[in-house]
Amino acid sequence: MALDPKTMAYINMFGVMGAMENLCELDASARALLTNKKPIRLCFDVKDGPKATFTFANGRVRVDPGVHKCDVKIPLGSPQKFNDVVDGKATPIPVKGFQHIGFLTKDFDKLSKKLESYLRPTEEDLADPEFFEISTTLTLYVLGTALAQVADYDEIGKFSAHLIPDGDIGFSVKDGPAVTIHFKNHVAAAEKTRAVKPRAIMEFESIELARALFDGKVNALACIGNGSITMRGMINMIDNLNRVMDRAALYLS
Amino acid sequence: MEPYKHTKSREWFDRATKVIPSGVYGHLGPAEGNFIPVSKWPLLSDDAAGEYARGSYFWDVDGNRYIDYMCAYGPNILGYNDPDVDAAALAQIKRGNCVTGPSYKMVELAELMVDTVKSADWAFFAKNGNDVTSCAIMTARAHTHRKKIIFINGFYHGVSPWTQKVDYPGVIPEDVANNLYIDWNDIPALEKVIAENEGEIAAYIATPYMHGNYKDNELPAEGYWQKVRELCTKHGIVLIVDDVRAGFRLATEGSDAFYGFEADLITFCKAIANGWNVSCLCGKEFIKSAVSSLSYTGSYWMSAVPFAAAIANITKMRELKLPGLLREKGIKVTDGLKAAAENNGFNLIVSGEPALFYLRIANDDSLFLHQEWVAACVERGIFFTSHHNHFINYSLSDSDINETLEIADEAFKVVARNHPELF
Repeated sequence: MALDPKTMAYINMFGVMGAMENLCELDASARALLTNKKPIRLCFDVKDGPKATFTFANGRVRVDPGVHKCDVKIPLGSPQKFNDVVDGKATPIPVKGFQHIGFLTKDFDKLSKKLESYLRPTEEDLADPEFFEISTTLTLYVLGTALAQVADYDEIGKFSAHLIPDGDIGFSVKDGPAVTIHFKNHVAAAEKTRAVKPRAIMEFESIELARALFDGKVNALACIGNGSITMRGMINMIDNLNRVMDRAALYLS
Repeated sequence: MEPYKHTKSREWFDRATKVIPSGVYGHLGPAEGNFIPVSKWPLLSDDAAGEYARGSYFWDVDGNRYIDYMCAYGPNILGYNDPDVDAAALAQIKRGNCVTGPSYKMVELAELMVDTVKSADWAFFAKNGNDVTSCAIMTARAHTHRKKIIFINGFYHGVSPWTQKVDYPGVIPEDVANNLYIDWNDIPALEKVIAENEGEIAAYIATPYMHGNYKDNELPAEGYWQKVRELCTKHGIVLIVDDVRAGFRLATEGSDAFYGFEADLITFCKAIANGWNVSCLCGKEFIKSAVSSLSYTGSYWMSAVPFAAAIANITKMRELKLPGLLREKGIKVTDGLKAAAENNGFNLIVSGEPALFYLRIANDDSLFLHQEWVAACVERGIFFTSHHNHFINYSLSDSDINETLEIADEAFKVVARNHPELF
């Protein structure tokens, strides 16, 4: 059951790179990299794949779907080429905005590396409580966003999604970060906020447990048995979302 | 009343998780069993109070007693440890159980099944429901030399890869490549899928009515089964009724007889032997040679003790004209529950057949309230579930029903108190 480059590209764009906006909210040193007052809009335009605009200014990043008012535009010929860029196997070549090459090669590169350090942490890094919390929070956001991409683009993910009725699923850490997955006509969208009126909730009792689950150190079913993961509401929504999560984990691994 | 505590359940469960995947896996465990929240549920049972599972009750390891409306998810149809069934089983233990030469009891049971089940010309025995649904599919393919199978969305026919879905762990697309899916009660969809796959469909498989989980159960529309029968016959498709769950609770003659048609193949398990482990595929004469041709058997499939138990159980169910009694009890329970709900401001939807009723509180669209109410019932000694149909058994007395309704009423009041915003 091969992974689909297009789904991977959507995950890379909105899940992995999309976490830059949260990185800057959570990490002061990341914010400090973005001292420019005038916004710089970096657009990725992937043929037959995702398109997004990253706006950098005043210590903040905003990610919007589509390409708008680009200061720097990077076209990619295919989802796989975009994935290669994210994986560091290819160098992106902008067609517009050469005056911002400095931003790309310095600030953006540093931001990307910082994000990577949180998403691929070492055991030593995770020993620092602050790093641990930021890293786990970002991982939750990436996973939550990836769920929506897998449900919308991966063939097996779409099969799971077609069994999920309309409504919101809350995916959260108790007293911690949360993601809402919206389903409407079996199309998913993720929002990095706590669900207001969910039809189903899956919640981890602590951020430590979330980390252990992400790292595969504990079994989710055993956690349901001991009550450290709670599920409520339309369990069929969660059940099918869990199938999507299995698939998302393959992409993210 | 004081809610139950589950201290020993938790201790045993923690031990279980060290040596058993998920602690208790499958539908009897906290994940698939939807124990929400898990702290309210018993996790393991025992005779801790000096009592043992009997009639409509079981006890957990903490000594809490439950009036059980899940009946081990169906097998308990006369009552736990029914004296007649167990006496037959214990007598057979002394005469032999799993031996090289199968007992004549198998022949007696097959004769009884053929005499009892209206559409049956023969009987083939195994252990679990999945054994015989799989046997039915293989038989249909062997008979028709076709690959494809029509399923009804929301189906459950067991745990083999062909019964699962493409996104389930351990299932590959090839396992389900020949599965076709349509909605329940949708004859135009059935006609369309047959037309699109003319000459390729081996079987149509469905439960006698739609008793899927997490949603109101749906009975067959007027004339639905008769039209399905007509289309299957016309197009050479084997009609399989999966009666594993509903079998013997609607009619001892088979649920196809209850709804006025005859299946080509019909599967039984659960209630066939009141908890002793045997399952059965029955079928029409025309397909007997196909099932004979299969390479399909198991180490314990011809054990004599469950055969003896099944004979005693089926004989007793026939004598009692049991399905009618179960229906009456089911109506009494569900009428009482609906009234208790209404008295407390809740809209309790009851669906499915009364002997296998399904419940849902409809005051919200999320099942949150329903799950709270079910948990409040369970921690007061009424074992319901929030996601699955329930099961009535013969031993359920008026006294049990009254106790159930009192506790259900108290549970509604607890939920109402917890949600002043709703009332």
